[in-house]
Amino acid sequence: MTPKRKQRLLLVAAMLVGVSVAVIFLLKAFNSNIMLFQSPSDIIAGKVKEGSRFRIGGMVVEGSVERGDTGLTTQFQLTDTANKVPVIYEGILPDLFSEGQGIVAMGSLDSSGLFVATEVLAKHDENYMPPEVADALKKAGKMPGTAANYGGSTVVNP
Amino acid sequence: MFKWIHLFGSSPFVYRAASWLAPVFGFGAAVCILVGLYLGLVVAPADYEQGDSYRIIFVHVPSAWMSMFVYMVMATSSAVFLIWRMKLADIVAWASAPIGASFTLIALVSGAFWGKPMWGTYWIWDARLTSELLLLFIYLGYMALRSSIEQPQTAARAAAILAVVGVVNIPIIHFSVEWWNTLHQPATISKLDKPSMHISMLRPLLLMVAGFQLLYFHQLMVRVKTGILQREGRTAWVAELVANNRV
Amino acid sequence: MTTDSQPLSIGLFGLFRSLLSRELSVAIRSPGQWLNPILFFIIVITLFPLGVGPGPNTLSIIAPGIIWVSALLSVMLSLQSLFYDDLHNGSLEQFVLSAQPLSVVVLAKVFAWWLLGGLPLLLVSPLLAILMHLPDSAIPVLMLSLLLGTLTLILVGAIGAALTATVGNGGGILMSLLVLPLTVPVLIFGSGAVQAAAMQMPVGGHLSLLVALLALALSLAPLATAAALRVAVSAG
Repeated sequence: MTPKRKQRLLLVAAMLVGVSVAVIFLLKAFNSNIMLFQSPSDIIAGKVKEGSRFRIGGMVVEGSVERGDTGLTTQFQLTDTANKVPVIYEGILPDLFSEGQGIVAMGSLDSSGLFVATEVLAKHDENYMPPEVADALKKAGKMPGTAANYGGSTVVNP
Repeated sequence: MFKWIHLFGSSPFVYRAASWLAPVFGFGAAVCILVGLYLGLVVAPADYEQGDSYRIIFVHVPSAWMSMFVYMVMATSSAVFLIWRMKLADIVAWASAPIGASFTLIALVSGAFWGKPMWGTYWIWDARLTSELLLLFIYLGYMALRSSIEQPQTAARAAAILAVVGVVNIPIIHFSVEWWNTLHQPATISKLDKPSMHISMLRPLLLMVAGFQLLYFHQLMVRVKTGILQREGRTAWVAELVANNRV
Repeated sequence: MTTDSQPLSIGLFGLFRSLLSRELSVAIRSPGQWLNPILFFIIVITLFPLGVGPGPNTLSIIAPGIIWVSALLSVMLSLQSLFYDDLHNGSLEQFVLSAQPLSVVVLAKVFAWWLLGGLPLLLVSPLLAILMHLPDSAIPVLMLSLLLGTLTLILVGAIGAALTATVGNGGGILMSLLVLPLTVPVLIFGSGAVQAAAMQMPVGGHLSLLVALLALALSLAPLATAAALRVAVSAG
């Protein structure tokens, strides 16, 4: 092998090592949650400090929405099917907000574990169908999940 | 076997081919987009969850898709230009940049108008939206670099390198909705055998995608013609075209 | 093959070392080159308490972002002249024509530049963190993120510096225009790591993404820079 070839081989090898190191660390990073939002289970597990601002994502628990008598205050529970976190929000909710809907809320935890939201965003899914079809699917129990990924696992809401 | 490829090195041939193809693509695009809009806005039913607002998808998804497709065309032809010094490849990359930037802008703006009623916000700094915005900046940077280097050959090669480097953004855009918890929903048509969309809505969406694709090819042909004329303005065959009033 | 192997006798590491010492000895003779970016970094950061208001709570919230954005800008500003002298005094042409791989030359230049323009930022960052009321616990993470991040920034910035080397007036702002979009991931994960550390949350994910970005930039960016330098030299 000429020195020139040997040198080139060395450079290519170094490059391949670099790229594989990058891939290893990328995979490592995806195992640890760097996410737009935290799931209720993360909060129950104590991953978030009280008072710090962060986003929470989950589905609104059916039957948990209570609207205040006066003003725009709404209180509801959020779930990732494993754990629940109570959320309170004062303001106008997006059109899509409903029970069973996936949402992302910005805010912070208070000392009692209540999440005080300053912004509530609705997350909609990738399924599109006419209302009649949706009804028929619901009756047959074949409705695809309403909210996609939470904390790495797909949540299917029957 | 690849003898025919040399034809693409011949500017008069490419110019004639583009002149012939431009109206064909233009007509196809017009038919697809008009029929797609009619089926999408009038015939297709409202969505069970989002009502009529979901109809923005018929513009948003095709343009977002094209924003990435055009970039891939641009980057691939830039690489071809860098490796084989093929003049036409550079013209294709030059021609694609503003078209791709426009599609990106349309995707961002239509997405914002969809986001407000559905999510409750025009904009959120999540991975999908941010990386799409960066795509727009990369397109703009490409055009800025091209226009600020005076010598055309240098400008072409420098811009080609930038286009190839910018490819790193494309997988980030595409996979951002799967890698991170984003507010943006995952792809609807990721699996062709079982798309997450009712057929009455899928049909106009696919028509619009085809229409936008043809629209890009139409615009590309028109701009490739311009590019060839700019570069070959002093040649005999262009003079002949002008003399016969066929430009 | 004796004539061919002659210039290679110093080997890749020898080449790297001799180029590094050349860069450093040139830089030591013109202190403005490495003093100005660090002064810029410090001054930009001190502008924020004066502009935003000196409340410790506000400052500690925005501190990670500000320190990171200032580091990014300072690196970008200093990089504009990375290849300027070499292009104009002809040494770049010699590098391109020599039998040595151009990407190793680039790597040596980049590393020298990091020692002069990146390392000082790292060293003064604890002081600035204290001025910005960043919690003490976040300072090691801040330094680590800057260590990984500034190297990546300089590697990516070198591509832009090489691409715009032949652009005369306005080349600097054009370079930032090209490079800043590509550096956004570094900014996001760099300041994200510091923010997470300030909130006492795990930083492993952010830091491993920074390592991944650095490894990717180390292996690919010098190739792109070398290609851009060839273009610049052939234009000159």
